[in-house]
Amino acid sequence: MIEAKRYHPLLLLLRLARLIKNNLIIAFFLFIAKAGSDSTFIMFAKYAFILYFCLSFLYKIIQWFTEKYELDDRSFRLYSGVFSRSERTVPFSKVQNVNRHTSVFNRVFKTTSISFNTGSAGDDAEVKFEVISRPEAEKMESFVANREVNTAVEEEAATERIENIEINLPERTLHFKPTNKDLFKASFTSLSFLFLIPFLFSIYGKINEIVDMREEKLEESFSVLFDSLWMLAAIVLLFIIVSVGFGVTRTFLKYGKYEISSDKERIYISKGLVEESAFSISKVKVQAIEITQSPLKHLLGLAEVKLTSAGGVGIVDEKLEVDTLYPFLPKARAYEMITEILPDYAVKGEKEMTRLPKQSLLVRMFTPSWLWMIATGALYYFREKLFWDEMWWETSLLLLIVIYGVRLLDFLHTRYLLDEQFVQFRKGGLMTTMFVTKREKVIEVSVTRNRFQRTFGLASVETVNRAKPVRHEGIKDVPVELAAAFYNWYRGRTKEITTE
Amino acid sequence: MLEEIELPKKKLSEDAVKVWWICEVIENVIAFIILAVLFYLDYRFSWKEWVGWILIGLAALFVPGLVWSAIEPKWKWKGWRYDVSEEFLMLKQGVWKEQQQLIPMTKIQSVATEQGPILRKYGLYTVKVETMASLHTIPALPRNVAFGLRNEIAQYAKIKEVEG
Repeated sequence: MIEAKRYHPLLLLLRLARLIKNNLIIAFFLFIAKAGSDSTFIMFAKYAFILYFCLSFLYKIIQWFTEKYELDDRSFRLYSGVFSRSERTVPFSKVQNVNRHTSVFNRVFKTTSISFNTGSAGDDAEVKFEVISRPEAEKMESFVANREVNTAVEEEAATERIENIEINLPERTLHFKPTNKDLFKASFTSLSFLFLIPFLFSIYGKINEIVDMREEKLEESFSVLFDSLWMLAAIVLLFIIVSVGFGVTRTFLKYGKYEISSDKERIYISKGLVEESAFSISKVKVQAIEITQSPLKHLLGLAEVKLTSAGGVGIVDEKLEVDTLYPFLPKARAYEMITEILPDYAVKGEKEMTRLPKQSLLVRMFTPSWLWMIATGALYYFREKLFWDEMWWETSLLLLIVIYGVRLLDFLHTRYLLDEQFVQFRKGGLMTTMFVTKREKVIEVSVTRNRFQRTFGLASVETVNRAKPVRHEGIKDVPVELAAAFYNWYRGRTKEITTE
Repeated sequence: MLEEIELPKKKLSEDAVKVWWICEVIENVIAFIILAVLFYLDYRFSWKEWVGWILIGLAALFVPGLVWSAIEPKWKWKGWRYDVSEEFLMLKQGVWKEQQQLIPMTKIQSVATEQGPILRKYGLYTVKVETMASLHTIPALPRNVAFGLRNEIAQYAKIKEVEG
């Protein structure tokens, strides 16, 4: 329980800094770029800007004084509003996952940010503390975690269980921590060394802006370089060394200090060397699991495992992919770990799954490709403007081959498995995705069949899961018997759910 | 048919065909006007050549579209089925592509009846069911059936699942 109190004072500092940052360009324009201007419009704009800025500054300060938060036994209570007061109550039971992110700002001041994501739509979907002391965040997270599962149960029973949990604090088991070897492998798989090229280009662009580099001069200096074979070799070697170094550093910064652990109730993922982020989710709130493999990962036997949460990932930058277990897990270890962390998900490997029948390939090959038709139309129309002199039909043919190649690969990769408790779908042409979800987590199903599929005794199945945005997943052209079994399988869910 | 599946049995009101017919006529008239205006503008301001080709393509599609409009309502009505049980809402629809949906009652968040001007003419209502994932509509039901269905779904949907 946390009594009503104001947010961390540094939050005010952060907001003021952000206000200044957001207005810097306008200020620069008005007071430096247009400093000498005597136009009445600029004069007016200057005063208006000063007025606006001062008022905003003042508002932020008052806002901080009016905002308070409180945690009672079951929910967050958030008080806010300068002119109209509002009070928001967010029950812990609605919290789907918790994100923690320590930005450079937070690091400097030894604070952190924490957000509790709920599954609801709109701005109020998360309860967010942008600046908060670390012990406070810690306390809040464990407090909410202990109560979020139990609030649905009767009050008395709940308190009893909480006491239990608090007495024997659950031990966290560490499941994965990348070794240096893993990180090296990851930096090559992610092709992160290629990132040096755009990086160099942007540097070149910047230099070009400052120093006027004439094309001829450049060509001259380049020709000197390229004249000597030794020089060229040295440059290429240097470039390779630098780019590998760059890629490895990048990967170490991003995926170094990665840790996946869990206790009886929750899963914890943390990562990042400079900017730290952490993600935690209650095991029962995992809506689905996804295992993806790019062609390169296929070759190296690596896989990426993702947990689907109804709360979405929230404030944290999407690039950080906090809900991902680890993008470069050895495949066998990935499967093992899923079973360790979520014993309910007895994920089976693709060898134990069923392939599509031959008729599916037939149906897929005869399905018209709209992409190809439109592309061919465009190629024909622009045939005289193509760089590659009027090779429009060759290009179109190549595209057709690629499209059919991907279709064939998709057919070969597609597998499914329907178990008593869960369903597994695997598909994808180049990038393969295995989707695993439990029957009780599926919120809707549909079976569709067009005339074409009907002739060949096929149908398509689809599941809908809670996620942000809602996740539709399915397999096309499965045998009709499987589709019927799937439909009846879902009907059987009433046996295993409990109602309030 | 997916033989092993227990199919929903209830049908929509037979007047649905007339309602859809009227809608099709209105839509086609509007589409025709838009197309005619585009052709005129194309001619008047001599737009790029490919615009003309696309317009001709659309016009060529318009005729089979008209035929489809004439026969689709009847087929659509034949294909539509719905049913409710204590646990599920079942929907079946589609002519070319047949779709069967199974929606647990516990996942339904709201249910409402609606009536537009054409539906009013025939005393029909549309039942709209909202879930966490999507919005499902059961079009064109007679008043007492629609209201009964709405109340029935509301009754069953009151029960909530314990979430994990």
